[in-house]
Amino acid sequence: MSTLNFARKEISFKIVYYGPAMSGKTTNLRHIYISLPQKIKGNFTSIATETERTLFFDFLPLELGTIKGFTIRLSLYTVPGQYIYKLTRKSVLKSCDGIIFVADSQRRRKEENIESFIDMMENLKAFGESLETVPIIIQYNKRDLEDILRIEELEESLNSEKQFESYEAIATRGDGVIDALRGITKLVVSRI
Amino acid sequence: MEEGKLSKLQITFTEEEMKKVEDYFGEYLIESEAKDIVLLNKSGELLAKSGDITSDVAVTVSALAAGVFSATNELARILGEKEFAVTFHQGQETNIHISMITTNVLLAIIFDNRAPMGAIRFWAKKVSKSIKDIIRKAEQRPPKEGPKGLKEDLKKEIDNLF
Repeated sequence: MSTLNFARKEISFKIVYYGPAMSGKTTNLRHIYISLPQKIKGNFTSIATETERTLFFDFLPLELGTIKGFTIRLSLYTVPGQYIYKLTRKSVLKSCDGIIFVADSQRRRKEENIESFIDMMENLKAFGESLETVPIIIQYNKRDLEDILRIEELEESLNSEKQFESYEAIATRGDGVIDALRGITKLVVSRI
Repeated sequence: MEEGKLSKLQITFTEEEMKKVEDYFGEYLIESEAKDIVLLNKSGELLAKSGDITSDVAVTVSALAAGVFSATNELARILGEKEFAVTFHQGQETNIHISMITTNVLLAIIFDNRAPMGAIRFWAKKVSKSIKDIIRKAEQRPPKEGPKGLKEDLKKEIDNLF
């Protein structure tokens, strides 16, 4: 549920980037941070280990402007993808308004994508949420790498009923990053 | 109640209530010699702030404080505790005291290293006590609809916002 703060005249949305380890969640956020104008972005906070793996979460607040006197805020979070951080993922997911699931297109990462997707659905269920209450879109990342699955194959394993919008991306170059963010923002706004 | 639903409570402060909270914060800042006071909800959103802290920093402090609190509570559960209602971090120059006011709202008070631990605890309790009723009232208020046409305007504007 988005938060309407009448006293501060703000409406805020929490969007979480979910997905398996090393699928490019932090890279998405870094690109957003680099490419958006200074006036709309806040501090980029990343709690990473020395090896650049996200340990806790990344956080990027955006202030998109004012509509009808209300400041529009987006809080972007990533979850740590590594299996051992299951509880952290669950706590970051708490009260989010929308999810971008960042899948790794590489053939050898197929199982990790599926496991992470199941983990996400289980966490949503534990919070009493479902696909009906929290909009999700899928981003198929790393489309520039060799030995990647075809989009149809990825869709078959994660989105066989075509219930989610999906986007292709090369987050290291920024391709498809803003498109996915815009896509999920449209979905969360339609739930106000 | 499911744990996620709990933090999805809409907290609807009126402008007067928010002013009252900020007035209390202003008073306590002077009396306690704290540097900053930040009020946030458990999902990491900034609700109010007082002190020299900028909005940008307060927004990040809120996200991190909620994260720390949530992680600490997983730790509590593993140790067989229901929750740890207080988390304290001590640095060379700065200390931060995070405490739970209601099940959904947290208070973070930032002190410099001159303040003794007892005083920090005392002030955190005092601030919490003063604003608890206001927060409870705001939590119990039914969620208010946004201004008419907000959703439609927002939908139209998304392409221009990025």
